[in-house]
Amino acid sequence: MHTALEQVPERLQALPTKVELDEKVQKAKGALLNDIKRSVYLYRVDCGGCNACEIEIFATITPVFDAERFGIKNTPSPRHADILVYTGAVTRAMRLPAMRAYEAAPNPKLVVSYGACGCSGGIFHDNYCVWGGTDQILPVDVYIPGCPPSPAQTIYGFAMALGMLGQKLHHKETVEAPGELATLAYADIPYALRTEIEHEARLMSGYLQGRDLADDFLKAISSSQGSVLASVDGLIAGTDDPRRAEVYNDFKELLLGKVIG
Amino acid sequence: MLKTLVNALKTGNATTKYPAAPIDLPYGYRGKPEHNEKQCIACGACACACPPNAIQMTADEGAGTVTWNIHYGRCIFCGRCEEVCPFSAIKLGNEFELAVMAATDLDESSTYTLEPCAVCGKLFAPRKQIAYAEELLKNDSGITGEELDTALARLRVCPTCKRTLDAHTAQATSRVEGGR
Repeated sequence: MHTALEQVPERLQALPTKVELDEKVQKAKGALLNDIKRSVYLYRVDCGGCNACEIEIFATITPVFDAERFGIKNTPSPRHADILVYTGAVTRAMRLPAMRAYEAAPNPKLVVSYGACGCSGGIFHDNYCVWGGTDQILPVDVYIPGCPPSPAQTIYGFAMALGMLGQKLHHKETVEAPGELATLAYADIPYALRTEIEHEARLMSGYLQGRDLADDFLKAISSSQGSVLASVDGLIAGTDDPRRAEVYNDFKELLLGKVIG
Repeated sequence: MLKTLVNALKTGNATTKYPAAPIDLPYGYRGKPEHNEKQCIACGACACACPPNAIQMTADEGAGTVTWNIHYGRCIFCGRCEEVCPFSAIKLGNEFELAVMAATDLDESSTYTLEPCAVCGKLFAPRKQIAYAEELLKNDSGITGEELDTALARLRVCPTCKRTLDAHTAQATSRVEGGR
């Protein structure tokens, strides 16, 4: 018995069959990694990205990051390539060029998924014309996430693909411990004051600097021995940056509004 | 020629030492979102805020759990999750070396238990979230006595049952008032 929902196809376009590697190529790939350590030719395939990834790849080959010191060289043709770097979310229109570049590169070759889009489709993952990542059509060896990956991230990814550096990120699954509770920071400060200061901090300085400023201020209140106002005044007097002092003064006004008697 | 050489020597080497030496990262660098699973109350604010749906929450009614899941391969490192987190349980750290060999290594998940509604018995909210609300009501809300007891009892009722209870209360009140 099928419900109406089950009869709706999951996707409205056909998915291409993924390229599978035979054993011989797999074996040759291992040998390739041992042989090409210091001379790697790289070809970049854009399968419908926004070009931020391309800009970062070209930043990687500038003198500042200089990927060529590892022997990594950008080539203009896939026929010279050892590594194919796929950027972009693999759109319907760019599927065939992507496959053609793959077929044109000589075996054995490495495939690198570059950027959030290349890894999984990124922010475009549920778009109608997006296949969602290089690994939907090709066997991928290395995933370099980032939107876009910075030059340092790129160098790390390539160094990992060539076996120069080890992998840092691993799959992690945690389960909540029985009776585990989240600890509330500054529980000794009344809720109303705490939230008002945090809210004001966000209005004044945004979520990042605001949180730092609110943290410093709440710390001053909570660690004060004796007079709270003296501790807060000490914090304001000890601040070099007039912009920070201004925000602290704002918090102090809120604090004074709460003081009774 | 000599001038060029002198200039080159003066300028020195512009290339970074990375990966032989760590790279300097600026204040507020948005690297890997670090999830502190002990501080997380599984409220799902980050999952709602995440633009590319890299963070997702999946409830498993059979097991009575809800699973928080992040896929780093889809993350665009925007920091919205950090912005909305009420407990600072997720923060974008300085870790940027995220390249992996297998796509499964890009996944991270934490599982939390759900609590059933006191009236209908259906699972409706994470245990830690209810515990947090209870703590606030008891210590920081300023309400006491019978009012507090009512609030604490209502805390464990799911939104659907709350609506039904409210409707019954309203009906009873209107009957007492003469069926206006």
